[in-house]
Amino acid sequence: MPLFWQKNKSFIILAILIVIQLILISVQTPLGEQDNYFERAVFVLFSPLQHGIVSFAQGIGNIWKGYFNLRKAHIENEEIKKELFFLTQENNLLKNALKNYKTEKEIMDLLQKLNQNILNARVVGIDASNYHKSVIINKGSLDGIAKNMVILDKSGNLVGRIVGPISLKEARVQLITDNECGVSVFTQREKALGILKGDGKGGCKLDYILSTDQNVFEGDSLKTSGFDGIFPPGIAVGEIAAISHTGELFKEIKVRPHFEFRNLDQLAVIMVESKDLY
Amino acid sequence: MKQLVEIVLAIIFALVLFAAFSYISVYLIQAINVFSLLVIYYAASKDEIHGACLGAVCGLIQDSFSLGVFGVAGIAKTVMGFIAGFVAKRINVVPASRNFVFVFIMITLELILWASLYAFVYSQGFNTGRGVIFIQPLITALIGSVLFPLIRKTIKSMNTNRI
Repeated sequence: MPLFWQKNKSFIILAILIVIQLILISVQTPLGEQDNYFERAVFVLFSPLQHGIVSFAQGIGNIWKGYFNLRKAHIENEEIKKELFFLTQENNLLKNALKNYKTEKEIMDLLQKLNQNILNARVVGIDASNYHKSVIINKGSLDGIAKNMVILDKSGNLVGRIVGPISLKEARVQLITDNECGVSVFTQREKALGILKGDGKGGCKLDYILSTDQNVFEGDSLKTSGFDGIFPPGIAVGEIAAISHTGELFKEIKVRPHFEFRNLDQLAVIMVESKDLY
Repeated sequence: MKQLVEIVLAIIFALVLFAAFSYISVYLIQAINVFSLLVIYYAASKDEIHGACLGAVCGLIQDSFSLGVFGVAGIAKTVMGFIAGFVAKRINVVPASRNFVFVFIMITLELILWASLYAFVYSQGFNTGRGVIFIQPLITALIGSVLFPLIRKTIKSMNTNRI
């Protein structure tokens, strides 16, 4: 045995390392949904470092800006931007909610819940394997972040939801462009219901619209329906970019999401858990 | 102990570069594989066991920064680190041209492995970032062929000064 070990030590170690990682892969059932403790530990250990580096870079950038601009004007500008950010969110939520709720009381209840619970977050990391899958934000469990909280962009368009792992000051956001993300949506014009899925390449597709359905058109706006129990109803998602008929049961519909990846610096987290909204 | 500290510092440095690249542009992290450069350099200067172990660590760190199955990049980097150490022990990969070809082949191999595992686990293709990922072996090999001799020179001069 020792001779065998001496002779094949490196291959045995390689085999052990591969087997450990294969076990890690196989225990992740259902596919990638539950983050295991090991993954969480690695994320918690290394994400603050990434957060720190990006914050440092942002800090340097701010000093640079502050030096060359009039300090007071800069502060005022930041305040106005912040105010505008929240006002835009509030305005969009108001518009969306008004369209989808029947009674004034229902509108007031939901808006009160949402508007009091918007948290401003910044993107501090992108997905290493595919940047259209997820991003990491600078808010974590210390800020009250929990799984399935909804993320919007500056203009109130749907970006995604919080998925694990969540560390003290960082959390991962699954983007709607991820091919494992599903959102229940409807077309604004004719209220045709479907499931929005990411294509993993920056776009989305609308599934389960029957080929015989005549109520779906190119350019139609899509909004969340709320039927998935995660995303509140009425949030703007995207618009239909192309419809093709493949001769199969369902139409092939390409969707262009409203949010733009390159503009994902500032995000809004709706701090109400989906279970508290319904 | 000293070796462990060196490795940890090297991983942190790779992480700093990775974070900086992702902050500048998403295409940079697809064009330059900093973690793989670290694994190849370490495997070439030590052996296949060290290469495989560091490959596993770096791969899993990379996996922790991406949504989905944890361990895909880990396996790809483990195998690549092992092969890099195995080859470097038998062939002299220090000369500039050999160094370039060596890094190029290793990165290509890792990319093929990772893409195959990804396709197997997810049953679909991966995002090529408008094709940027395909030039990753070339760009990373070019950087490696400039960086590795510099690191070797620096270490050598530091050792000479100490003596």
